[in-house]
Amino acid sequence: MLPFLVLLLFNALLAYATDYEERLLLRPLPRSALLASFQFRSNESSTSFEQQNFRYFPRSLGQILQHAHTKELHLRFSVGRWDAESWGQRQWNGAREGGTGVELWAWIEADDEEQAFSRWLTLTNTLSGLFCASLNFIDATKTIRPVMTFSPEGDHPNPSKLHLLHGTLPHEVVCTENLTPFLKLLPCKGKAGVSSLLDGHKLFDASWQTMSIDVRPVCEENGDCSLEMEQSVDMVLDIDRSKRPRDNPIPRPLPIEDIECDTSKYYNGHDTCFPLDKQADPAWTLTEVFGRPLRGACPLTDTEGPNSHTVCINTPPERTVNANTTGQYEEHRYASDTMRCYKLPTGSDIDLELPEQQMTTGLVLGTPPLYAARAINGHGQERGSVQAVIRNPSTSTAVDFVYLEALPWFMKPYLHTLRAQVTGSSENPIKETYYRPAVDRRRGTHIELKLTIPAGATLTITYDFDKAILRYTEYPPDANRGFDVAPAVIRVLNPQSSDRRGAYLRTTSLLLPLPTPDFSMPYNVIILTSTVMALGFGNIFNLLVRRFVGADEVPSIGGGLIGILKAKVQRIRGRFSR
Amino acid sequence: MALLATLLALRKDARILKIPPYLSAFCIIVGVVWLLILPLNEYSRNTYVSENALLPGQVHTYFTGSEHNVFRAYRQEVAALAGSSVDQRSKRLSEIFQSNNLKVATQKYSYQASGRNISNENVYAVLQGPRADATEAVVMMAAWRNMAGDINHSGVALVLSLARYFKRWSLWSKDVIFLIPGDSTTGSQAWVDAYHDSHSPDTIEPLSIKSGALQGAVAVDYPAGPWGHRYDKLHIMYDGVNGQLPNLDLFNTAVSIASGQMGIGCTLQRMWKHDDSYQERLQTMLRGMISQGLGHATGPHSSFIPYHVDAITLQTVGDGWHDEMSLGRTVESLFRSLNNLLEHLHQSFFFYLLLQANRFVSIGTYLPSAMLIAMNFSITSIALWVLSGRSITTPPNPASTSNKDKQEKEKADVTVVKKDSAVAIVPTKSLETVERRLSLPLTFVAISHFLGLLPLYLFNNTHESYLDPIFYAILGLTGILPFATAAILQSFRRPTPQESNLIQCFSLLLLGMFLSALATLNFSLSFLVGILTTPLTFIRGTKNKIFAIIGSVILAILNPVVVIRAAVFFFGMDLRQVLVQAAEGWHVWGLWTQVVVWLVWWPAWFAGSVVVSGGLFS
Repeated sequence: MLPFLVLLLFNALLAYATDYEERLLLRPLPRSALLASFQFRSNESSTSFEQQNFRYFPRSLGQILQHAHTKELHLRFSVGRWDAESWGQRQWNGAREGGTGVELWAWIEADDEEQAFSRWLTLTNTLSGLFCASLNFIDATKTIRPVMTFSPEGDHPNPSKLHLLHGTLPHEVVCTENLTPFLKLLPCKGKAGVSSLLDGHKLFDASWQTMSIDVRPVCEENGDCSLEMEQSVDMVLDIDRSKRPRDNPIPRPLPIEDIECDTSKYYNGHDTCFPLDKQADPAWTLTEVFGRPLRGACPLTDTEGPNSHTVCINTPPERTVNANTTGQYEEHRYASDTMRCYKLPTGSDIDLELPEQQMTTGLVLGTPPLYAARAINGHGQERGSVQAVIRNPSTSTAVDFVYLEALPWFMKPYLHTLRAQVTGSSENPIKETYYRPAVDRRRGTHIELKLTIPAGATLTITYDFDKAILRYTEYPPDANRGFDVAPAVIRVLNPQSSDRRGAYLRTTSLLLPLPTPDFSMPYNVIILTSTVMALGFGNIFNLLVRRFVGADEVPSIGGGLIGILKAKVQRIRGRFSR
Repeated sequence: MALLATLLALRKDARILKIPPYLSAFCIIVGVVWLLILPLNEYSRNTYVSENALLPGQVHTYFTGSEHNVFRAYRQEVAALAGSSVDQRSKRLSEIFQSNNLKVATQKYSYQASGRNISNENVYAVLQGPRADATEAVVMMAAWRNMAGDINHSGVALVLSLARYFKRWSLWSKDVIFLIPGDSTTGSQAWVDAYHDSHSPDTIEPLSIKSGALQGAVAVDYPAGPWGHRYDKLHIMYDGVNGQLPNLDLFNTAVSIASGQMGIGCTLQRMWKHDDSYQERLQTMLRGMISQGLGHATGPHSSFIPYHVDAITLQTVGDGWHDEMSLGRTVESLFRSLNNLLEHLHQSFFFYLLLQANRFVSIGTYLPSAMLIAMNFSITSIALWVLSGRSITTPPNPASTSNKDKQEKEKADVTVVKKDSAVAIVPTKSLETVERRLSLPLTFVAISHFLGLLPLYLFNNTHESYLDPIFYAILGLTGILPFATAAILQSFRRPTPQESNLIQCFSLLLLGMFLSALATLNFSLSFLVGILTTPLTFIRGTKNKIFAIIGSVILAILNPVVVIRAAVFFFGMDLRQVLVQAAEGWHVWGLWTQVVVWLVWWPAWFAGSVVVSGGLFS
């Protein structure tokens, strides 16, 4: 229960609506992993937003939203996968993470679907420029209009005119070029505050990381509306790997003296060492793990009250945490001491240091509502089947959820082969189905299923599909390892999530190998045929335009100028005589 | 037009029917000679790494120092498990993987083959690549027991210590799966079947953890005990089930890393000594062909290849000065190369014959030899078809100078053929057409093919202890059956010469078709079966007892069952072991060599034998 309390508290801390606030939550996870969750929130009143009077809300993004008539925006950049078995419940119940690659969905104000789609294209193209990502590749084939999976988080005055569009780029590799524009949107721009810890090298070396941008309108009961932008970066770092210095990143074998050997083994000796599993929590400091120091508080955040406690560590109370700084800092404890928050000094660096410590109490990890895994079965170039296995770990409550699958058009599922089976029950768990079939080269398949999974049961969804054969120009120009299929999105409906964000989880993306021609072969063929054509053309051209005569048939004409003149005359004569 | 008319006229010429046997013989001779010249420098090529992304041997390897101490400890741990139960073993191996922060799962499997129950458990761990998105994976494995049945002490220990070492690197762009199958062939088969969800769920457990599409697999076979053993060379095994081969790039990468970067010599097909002479190249190639033709699994890697996962096994051989760390570094470098792959291995050859570690023959060069041999059957078959449509006595050649008087007598027996304004005088006999009686030949050929199902069923579904008697029973039965069949048919005055021609015609037609199709899938099997059935082209139904006896004896020797017995004797193997392996192959690996033997080779032999031995009873 503890982590839920902590999460609730953490959310409650953030609920104070001030114009700009930021927070970093650190939580050590098992197997020397560390969850770092950054959150930045800025508000702008809707009147000043409309008058283009931007203070904390970034102007670049604000203007894009106005231009594309976007009322609510969610953008995700993710790498890696969340290991639910070891790390437990997802941060923010999965509401602030995306599938591998880039995921974008938005509510766009438009009169009809056509206009909504053209505004959606405007939005993806401009965001593409802003975030240095290939978002412009989200075209009609990659866009879907989900019906059950997403619901707006904000307060919208006229929801009837809003259109929800959703697109994913599972193959997009998220890297530092996406982080830089992300940091530029922050008021402190990574120079101070918790964002000063965000370093591309460490962020993209994480086992899992996701960056998100969420823009939504929030209205008070008295009718005051404002536009809220939440930026978050969640990552799970491998402490051992992150602690390695940047100038020596190679994990060379440690000297034997530095390895703790199990001396109780009978074979233990100078050349034989069974490495002991370290039971103690590893030592780490912020600077080591993030590769740079925390440069004090961002001056734009509150200096008083709970919003000024920007760095929080969620550890058992016995864990030693030392703060090293030359400036003034404050430590506050919440949730029966399992949450320690720090008010950062302004203008001076601060470092948190956790020594190696043998722990007696572990941190309780929340159980996620569902576990999901998805894989392609079968082999060969013609067909395959997809199998998604979803498990409900709860012993008491059934879970209702929506399963969204957006498939590319060249993966052609057979709906009649769609089976959903719950272990130990013959009842059909599918409550509702929404299906929009693919149209070749125009749009992909869109399946949404509403399902129920009883307590402790495992649900298996399978369906067969055919692989289409693409035209050779439809293959991407780069190395072809297969096509990525976007992760399935699962939204947990019941038990309901405590806030409007909802609870989500996503499967990993899939690799769909399609029959691929050997592209070097047509190249060779083209070269060969061109050569043959050139040879043939040359010969035929010669035969057509030249006149071949035997050497003895040519009338002997003397050399010199007279000879040339004579030859000319003869030629002219020959032409007339024809 | 004139040429066409000449050709059409030639078709009627009796001499044309004399050509096919010579043509067939020519095809066979060229086919065999073709194969024999392949080891020459002019017809083979040096291997080269075709996929640029692999960059073999371009990275520093760091698997040294204290890793060696850890490796020795793990080897002790493995040795301590030697006598323990499967459950205990799996538990301890899982613990070691888990202590290195890897996700571990186990898989139980059991197979039934020739009354034996093969059951064991696989242990595997998944290292989720920090740069990976769960779409691709590579497999490193060491079977608990190698092909010889020895415990793979150092191999398993090496996988355990490399798992620990790999976990520290952040550069993996694919998941790395560390697999310890319970035994060399069935364990990896169960695992890879379950990975692609094509297993039978009653006896094989599904995998609880999966990763992405498999891009490659490398198995390590190093059975040195807890005190180690320094080896001389790496023996690279690459044959897959049913003669499928991994992409040549994987093999080349392994050779290039081992010999180029680590200085370890590489060898293949059990050629422990290879001085690159013609004989040794030829011997390597023939050994490779026999191994490919048999289509059996040669190591834990074999089961992966039918799933289009390129795989090899590295086996340590001999006494030398290379230690476990150099093998570890070879594997490390090999996985670094595989990690570089942007695409599935596709650049290089999938069909090749290797002559030594860095010399090969590609399919375009070797395929004609098996095709020529398959073609000889088709040629004979067509010739027999034409022959069966002719009347038996051929008219004497009017241009012939001998037998003048006889010719005078028969002079009247001609017909005048008129067409448009042309008039021709043709011997009446050559205008006669003979009706082909197809019912007996077709029925006979169909029945003989169906008869092949019987031994196929018996060998694959008999208890181990009855396999020997069954084999000898079938040996005796197939020895007698052609004579018995011929005797029975002769008692009905069948088959007529035309019918025996047609029986041979259909039988050879099918043989030629099957073998040429097979040559594109399993060249070696097609070639071997083709060579062993060549006499079928030349034997004919004859009234001459001496020819019939000679033909029958030759065919009795080339009886598939006799050939199998002789091969088993020649290679010094145990017959029962071979039959058990074959049955295991049928039930576990999906081997179809038996299908070729019993449904292609045996029926062709049977039809030929019946036709020949018909002469004995006429």
